Amino acid sequence: MSAEPQPGALNDDAVIFFDGWSSRKRRVELRFGAMLEIVQNGATLASWPYDDIRRIEAPGFALRRETAAAGELARLELHDPRLHNEIIARCGFLGGRVRPGANRALLYWSLAATASVVGLVWFGIPFAADRIAPLVPPAFERRLGEAAEAQLRAIFSAEPCHAENGAGALAQLSARLQSRAALEQPARIEILRSSVPNALALPGGKIYVFSGLLTRAETPDEVAGVVAHEIGHLRHRDAMRKLIATGGTSYLIGLLFGDVTGAGALVFASKALIGAAYSREAEAQADAFAAELMARLGRPAKPLGDLLTRVAGKENGAFGLLHDHPLTADRLAALAAADKSERGPPLLDDENWAALKTICEKVDVKPEAAR
Amino acid sequence: MSDVLLAAEVSAADKPTPILFTGDNGEFRRLVTRGALLELVTAGFYRFWLATHMRRYLWSSTVIGGDALEYVGTARELLFGFFFALVILAPVYIAYLVVGLEAERAKAFASLPLGLFFAAFGQFAIYRARRYRLNRSSWRGLRFGMSGSGLGYMLRALGWGALIAVTLGLALPWAEAALERYKMRNTYYGALEGDFVGRGGDFFKRAGWIWFTALILLLSPYVIGAVFRGPIWILAGVIYVFGAPSLFAAFKAEQWRWWLRGLRLGGVRLETNLTMTALLGNYFVFLGVTIGVLIAAAIVFGIVVAMNRNAMVGTTPPIGVLIPIGLAYVATFLSIGVALRIFLMQRVWKLVASSVVVHGLAEAEDVATRASVAPSAIGEGFADSLDVVGF
Repeated sequence: MSAEPQPGALNDDAVIFFDGWSSRKRRVELRFGAMLEIVQNGATLASWPYDDIRRIEAPGFALRRETAAAGELARLELHDPRLHNEIIARCGFLGGRVRPGANRALLYWSLAATASVVGLVWFGIPFAADRIAPLVPPAFERRLGEAAEAQLRAIFSAEPCHAENGAGALAQLSARLQSRAALEQPARIEILRSSVPNALALPGGKIYVFSGLLTRAETPDEVAGVVAHEIGHLRHRDAMRKLIATGGTSYLIGLLFGDVTGAGALVFASKALIGAAYSREAEAQADAFAAELMARLGRPAKPLGDLLTRVAGKENGAFGLLHDHPLTADRLAALAAADKSERGPPLLDDENWAALKTICEKVDVKPEAAR
Repeated sequence: MSDVLLAAEVSAADKPTPILFTGDNGEFRRLVTRGALLELVTAGFYRFWLATHMRRYLWSSTVIGGDALEYVGTARELLFGFFFALVILAPVYIAYLVVGLEAERAKAFASLPLGLFFAAFGQFAIYRARRYRLNRSSWRGLRFGMSGSGLGYMLRALGWGALIAVTLGLALPWAEAALERYKMRNTYYGALEGDFVGRGGDFFKRAGWIWFTALILLLSPYVIGAVFRGPIWILAGVIYVFGAPSLFAAFKAEQWRWWLRGLRLGGVRLETNLTMTALLGNYFVFLGVTIGVLIAAAIVFGIVVAMNRNAMVGTTPPIGVLIPIGLAYVATFLSIGVALRIFLMQRVWKLVASSVVVHGLAEAEDVATRASVAPSAIGEGFADSLDVVGF
């Protein structure tokens, strides 16, 4: 074939050969015959077919032979650029016999995997949560709720209000609302002393109304609307569903993404968005339930919207509340549309309403406390 | 490989041979930056390829006696190893969830055996991971290898771990010596048998002061707080910010030196001039970069919230706020991940590798392969790559 490169012009270390069976470093010459012959002192150490020769992904110019017959780790290092060209000219598959589309296929499969994971987080897990939540036994749900309760009180460092008159009014309101709510397990409603205007329902039937919300309410119907809304959450077992959905997502993330440094971030971010979307739907359902419950009691649904508007208007900053109660025009419109107006007696008379408003006032209960 | 490196090659039997690190910092930075972005779009599955590329870079940049190490593992093996680990871990996670919920009230007791299981499994994984990496490392056309049992190592590590806990960490040097002996006595390079001659007592003599200083550092705020009042707490904070990385660097430097000097492969041994200040400088750069990234993220967060102040009605921030904040969050994580890989992996490797000189390298000039070792280790078992599970 072509002329051998002039050996005299080459450095002693121009070609190094490791046979893959020992660590001996051999200084060899190359002969470009029908195959690439690796020659030391006139003896051929190995013959490599040109099509089997691959270049190693490393600095420098090192070659290996594709088949293990040569010793899997047999290496040929060329330290003279002139030899590189000889090799490149003869070996057609230095980069391997990879099908041209192989890398693209890898990319597509990866993107498909991403889409599948995001799809699972977005649709699969909420779907599963909807199916699993009704199967959770109430006793277990109540225990979960108790655990959450302790945490909640610690976070807000808040305690329930028990002023005697107010407690009576609260019990009356609770009984009126629950008489038409058809709950499987009775709800226990408490007022928590906290300036945060919020209300939430825990798994197991506990509803907390924060006193901050109570002080801003102007009519009993507004408070009743909020409680009815939370009863709606209990009825739909939203807390349990959310717990299962969050737990499932965490499980998936923890399992798939060993490192939080890069990969998990995507899912965490999309989870935050999904969490918001998911709860929006749950809020709308709870609103619908509240409106229906109020209508059954012959009371209007619109005051709930009024209270939310009032609270939202005074709200400073985005993260004042922990619970998700996104107030949208859609929500207000839906509440207004579902309003069946006033047809029945008020849920609380003026005296009881005044008592409920003062349920958290310590100053007034001083004489009682001394008892 | 350049001619300079070949010229540096020394064949004289007793003359020590320095290890050279020839890698380009910029190349690694590009590698991990690109890798982090690809990890993001592939839901994390690119990490097997990234790990392989990083190892290939590190190995091939480490030149011993004129010849670089070569990493011959493939990403596909890591992927299969991950699937294998998934089969084991998926039910364990479920069990963890169920037991954790069931024993909600006595959670501390319930999670203890589960934590132990993970700790034990982690030790098993550490051993198998090292075995996998050694087996995929070659130099001069001959691979390293490791025998021994991951289970045996796990039991030893658990025993030593218990002793470390009982002695509040004082047993650590002896534990490390014993465990490293187990690993190295099962290590070989062709016919060269590995050994570890580092002794726990020596390590303790050199690094014991770090244990005592750490104890003092840990207790100092309480003492200061008990004696003085007021802004003296800031002083305690300063002591922590500078003291903790310094102690860590001092410990790592002692540990590296003791470990490297204790390694034996036949008659080949290593000597190092690694300094604590070199490591410390590196850690402080990492700390600075991380803090910088966090400050930048906080600024972005502040700007986004301030700009949308009026748009925020109710309790859930609007999408227009969530998306930029989500992006900033992702960018923060990616940047810190990249910095982590650069400063705690590549730079440490570079510092350590270039600090080492090899004695008795002549013994490795003509080592034959082991008859018992199959040249192809593809069928080694997928569990070998448990190192990617994240322990």
